[in-house]
Parts: sequence; C-alpha cells; structure tokens
Amino acid sequence: MKTVMINASPKKKGDVSGHLLQMQRIMLHGTVVKEKLRTQGDHDRILEQLRDADTVVFSMPLYVDGVPSHVLAFMENMEAFCKEHDLQLQLYVISNGGFIEGSQNRALMQVFENFCDRCKIGWGGGIGIGGGVMVNVMRILLVVYTGLFLLQLLTGNVQGGLMQYGEQLLVLLFFHLGIFWCMFRTGAAMRKKECAGVRFTRVLVPSLIFILMADLFFVLMSLFQGGLFRGWLKKK
Amino acid sequence: MKVILHDLPEKYTELLQKHCDTVIRADGKYAPCQGCFGCWTKHPAECYLRDSLHTVCRTLGRADELIIITRNCYGMYSPAVKNILDRSIGLSTPFSTYRGKQMHHTLRYGKHALLKVLAYGDMTAQEEKTFAYMAERNAVNFGYEASSFIPMKSLAELEEDVL
Ligand SMILES: Cc1cc2nc3c(=O)[nH]c(=O)nc-3n(C[C@H](O)[C@H](O)[C@H](O)COP(=O)(O)O)c2cc1C
Repeated sequence: MKTVMINASPKKKGDVSGHLLQMQRIMLHGTVVKEKLRTQGDHDRILEQLRDADTVVFSMPLYVDGVPSHVLAFMENMEAFCKEHDLQLQLYVISNGGFIEGSQNRALMQVFENFCDRCKIGWGGGIGIGGGVMVNVMRILLVVYTGLFLLQLLTGNVQGGLMQYGEQLLVLLFFHLGIFWCMFRTGAAMRKKECAGVRFTRVLVPSLIFILMADLFFVLMSLFQGGLFRGWLKKK
Repeated sequence: MKVILHDLPEKYTELLQKHCDTVIRADGKYAPCQGCFGCWTKHPAECYLRDSLHTVCRTLGRADELIIITRNCYGMYSPAVKNILDRSIGLSTPFSTYRGKQMHHTLRYGKHALLKVLAYGDMTAQEEKTFAYMAERNAVNFGYEASSFIPMKSLAELEEDVL
C-alpha cells in the first residue's frame, strides 16, 4: 500500500502541518512518500506520485475559515488528473487553525468532501485541530526540557532531574491527548483505507488561557523581529 | 465604502464600477500568502510581497459593504479570489477576542455592515450548502454584521443581485 502525505503549509520551515503529518505517519504501514506543496512548481511532481498511490493525506493550515488559495489551485489540477487517470484514491485531511476551537475547521472539511465527490475518489474524513500554534510551542518546549534534563544529568542531579522531566513530559502529553486520540482512530481507518469520519479536537488548554498565550506569542514574535507595537492597532 | 471583489473577465470591471466605490479584480497575477504574519507584527496592514496585493487589506478593511463575485470551487471561492482574502488578514490585529462565541482577532478598522457573496458556475446542492456556511463563517471572522450568499444560475442575474 502506498500513501502520499502532502504537507501543504506555505512556510519553508517551522510549520505545524509537517509536524502533525510526522505524528500521523507513525501510525501508518507500507510505503509512505512525503511531499511538500508550496508553489505551482510542485504540482506535477506530486500528481505523478498520486498515479500509483492508494491513499493521500493532506495536512494544511486553515486560512480564513477555508482551504489556502495555493492548495485550491492544486486541487483543481488534481481533479483533472484523477479523472484523466481514473485514480482510485482514498483522501484524508488534517487541518490546523490558529484559533482554539477545532470546529472552526468544519467548512474546510466540507470543501474536501465536495472535492472528493467531484474527483470520484473516496472521502476518508480527517481531523480539524484548534490551537495549532501551541503544537509548535510545545515542540520547542520539548527540546528545551530535554536539554535542561541532560544538563541536570551532567551535574549529577539524576533523581531530581528525572522527576522534573517526567512531570514536564506528562503535562505536554496531556495537552496533546485529543490530537493523539484522533490520530490513533484516523490512522486505524487509513490502514484499512476506510472512511474515518471527521473529528475535531484542540490543544487541551482552556480557551481564556490560550487567548492570553496567543497574545503573548505575537508580542514575543514581534520582539524577535526587531521591535514592538509598530502601529499594531493603527488604521493604516 | 462599497467594495466589489470579482474574478470575472476584465470587461465586467467597468460595469461593476458603476455600482460601488472600488472594484478589485482577482486576476491571479499575484503570489499566495506565505503565512509569515508580518502583516500583523512586523509591518502592520502591509504584506512583505510587493505585488498588487501589497496593501489590499486596507481596502477590504475600509469596506462597509463587500460584495464578492466568484466562481464556485468545491463550495468555496476560486483560487484567485481566495488568494486576496488570504492576503487580507492585516485588516485585523494580532490580538485575540471572542466573536460569535468563538476566538477571533480584533478588527483594525472596526465592524463592517454587509458581506454579500455571489457564486457562479456549476454547483452541486452540497457545494451550495458549504458555500453558504463558508460565507457566514467569513462574515464573523472579518467582522461583518450581516451576510448573504447567492448562488447565481447565470451571469445575467449579476446586475439584479449587485444592485
Ligand atoms: C492568511 C492566514 C489566515 C488564517 N486564517 C485562520 C482562520 O480563519 N482560522 C484559524 O483558526 N486560523 C487561521 N490562521 C492561522 C493558521 O491556521 C495557523 O497559524 C496554523 O497553525 C499555521 O499552520 P502551518 O504552520 O502549518 O502553516 C490563518 C493564518 C494565516 C497566515
């Protein structure tokens, strides 16, 4: 069985979509080909990979409640390709939005279901994830925590370090539980080429705390970019 | 200000101009959003890509009424129209708030009155439902008080619907 996993974030690096795809990949068997969809130049290469594929998994950011425009352009080409070559694919989607509610991905999922109808390929469903940026933040935290743990090991504080690291890992695991569960269920359906249905989940942080963290995130991002509040709220 | 965003052939721009203050034609001659958030944090309400959409968010931000005329694409806007919406998030700020009981961003230019989406081209019943829902969601996201979605059987209906 051949699965093509398409990371459709337009970012060159540091994207959440690719990271989520990596997690989902652990649950798949068979040949897995990873592709990156950023520009028109990627279309032909990816379409060629689809020719003998059984399953295709898209992972993308939610843009303005829907599919990012560069992905829509690819979908139009893919529709023609599916019809021309009579492809028998099963399609799944993982989408992640910046807002905390996973259900904000609902319209995007409907668009992909409509797309599958047009292409006459199988709609496998997928996962709509809220709080995507936090997934990235947690990825960074994991690296930081691991670094600190190694430092403590070097300084001989094995027991204390282990306890602290264990606690930190548990907290990170808790925040991911919804995502892991959905990936586990969707992965099982992917292996059988069945429809998984659509699931919505989120990073398990209360909304109000998430909003404060999102504000802090953009303040820090601005600082890293060399300044703060350069007319953030001004009518330009 | 009334703004019309459309992906029809160029000849329609002149006709539509008579019914609004600004017409934006989605001709597809611009790059898609790169997802950098620079239009929020680094150079607010401005995209780092110096093409025709460099400051398009300011025009959409100032619209009291926005009419979008688009080809249907699986229950969504055409890629050329969606590209403009994606490149317009600078009309909001990086700060978060609650709108319609869900998380959204605060609006740089305040609330708008009406979002009207007119879609043409072959459309299944399911796509029609999806598009109506999408337009509703976009209206909340971009801060419109009211919204409507009109599937057009043919472009002959255009003048009647836009007026
Ligand atoms: C142009 C643009 C539009 C966006 N619109 C939404 C949206 O409507 N709802 C949402 O929850 N997140 C929205 N986001 C946030 C992204 O979905 C979020 O940052 C995501 O984690 C990015 O994923 P990536 O790193 O894989 O590209 C938008 C981001 C951009 C750049």
